[in-house]
Amino acid sequence: MSKPEYARMKFYCDDNLCIDCNGCVVACKEAHEVPVGINRRKVVTINEGVVGKEMSISMACMHCTDAPCQQVCPVDCFYIRADGIVLHDKDKCIGCGYCLFACPFGAPQFPQDGAFGTKGKMDKCTMCAGGPEETNSHEEFEKYGQNRISEGKVPMCASMCSTKALLVGDANEVASIKTYRSVAQGKGIATESYGW
Amino acid sequence: MHSDTFYNRNKAYILTVLGLALLTFVFVEFMMIIEWKYFFEYQLHMILTGNLDGVLTPPNSNYEAMVNQAFGPNYTSIAPEIIRASNERQEFIWWVFVAEIAIFCYMYLVNGRQSAEITRPQDQVQVFTLFHRVVIWLNIIVISVLIFTGFNITWGMRSGGGDLVFLLRGMHEMTGIIWLPIWLMMSIIAFKDAKLLFNNSLIKKIILPGKHKPMKRVIYIVFLLMGAGLLISGITIWFIHPDAYTNAQYIQFKRLLLYVHFGTSVLIMFFLMDFIYSVMIAVKGNLKGLVTGKYPREHLEQLAPDVLEDIEDKR
Repeated sequence: MSKPEYARMKFYCDDNLCIDCNGCVVACKEAHEVPVGINRRKVVTINEGVVGKEMSISMACMHCTDAPCQQVCPVDCFYIRADGIVLHDKDKCIGCGYCLFACPFGAPQFPQDGAFGTKGKMDKCTMCAGGPEETNSHEEFEKYGQNRISEGKVPMCASMCSTKALLVGDANEVASIKTYRSVAQGKGIATESYGW
Repeated sequence: MHSDTFYNRNKAYILTVLGLALLTFVFVEFMMIIEWKYFFEYQLHMILTGNLDGVLTPPNSNYEAMVNQAFGPNYTSIAPEIIRASNERQEFIWWVFVAEIAIFCYMYLVNGRQSAEITRPQDQVQVFTLFHRVVIWLNIIVISVLIFTGFNITWGMRSGGGDLVFLLRGMHEMTGIIWLPIWLMMSIIAFKDAKLLFNNSLIKKIILPGKHKPMKRVIYIVFLLMGAGLLISGITIWFIHPDAYTNAQYIQFKRLLLYVHFGTSVLIMFFLMDFIYSVMIAVKGNLKGLVTGKYPREHLEQLAPDVLEDIEDKR
């Protein structure tokens, strides 16, 4: 019996290649018209300025297979697509922030646009796959940003990554690329195998 | 025959402490998945160093340093408990209230309702001043709104979310801030033991008349402590609003505060329901007095002689 060939979409950031240029952050904000104060993606750097030890990584929602945000949401506004992309319905979201408490990556973002600075509805990386609204409609863009996946395009952050540190796609494909980079010395991009 | 033993004098405190100890033991031993060592060490670390990020020891590797800076440390210590608690509150908390209401129904059936024999309804005594009544009723209204809007979040699955539930969630935050001065005023006017500590006219004027009976004293202490816990945790959760880059510095602290908020809300709810039963249901005529501020003298003579004595003393 053949195994089903489902894609499981994942991000991977190669810390050997990330140069903290923040191109992915800017590209994401620009493409989806993300408001000021909200960052669907961030770049974190450790040992900044220490030669040979500086290390950066680009972070966003990791689209967990067993997503804690989905488990904890009291109004069940999250849903996971067949390809593994974790999305949410802003029409259902009540901005309680439980997903932020549960997320290990700090991905959910809340605008502070309510009266007296109360939180608005949650915003997070959609892997450029929009939301539950009609695909590529104006409403979908207003709430979730571009739906590049439906057009067969790579998410904006990865497509703009100048060093190709940020990879996105089916988990098996991403793993193959990383393996190739580790073992194919001298051919194309070569980076050390995983492990800090 | 009434025996004046230590147990009888302190029955309310002993039973409360034993009940809470049993409840704590069952919860800690069988129902919680929190990492207690980290839970306490983190709080101690915060107090001693003022550092909120939850990193108790310096990282041993680049990996650990990256985790601390990107996501915040020790995800497995508190977060899984928050996730579990959020789910189970939706599923099982109904039964806590069902059990509590069942206990009150049993008490009502066994003990009935206390009522005074009133032969002179015109002979009324002013017990609550306008100020007292304003504070008490504001407290009742604000707490009711907080309970309603709080459970609006907890039981969001039933409502399905949406804009109305979203607005009520925002209202919970705003009402919580409004409750701060009202809780403070209520804590001051209900501090009947202040009359034992200070003997001056201002205290007599501000504090409610009468003496605390042991169970009411327990409820007052719970209201004071749990109210403080709720307000501090709630307002701090609302006030600290980390962005993507400061998330790792504050998220563990916010998780801890949410945990305190859950715990204190459960405890204060239990004792508030107890208070509502004992004041509003178990004794006839109390509710009307809370509105008008006046009670028939015979009502006080029969059911609250300490209140009457206190009012007579003031004159």
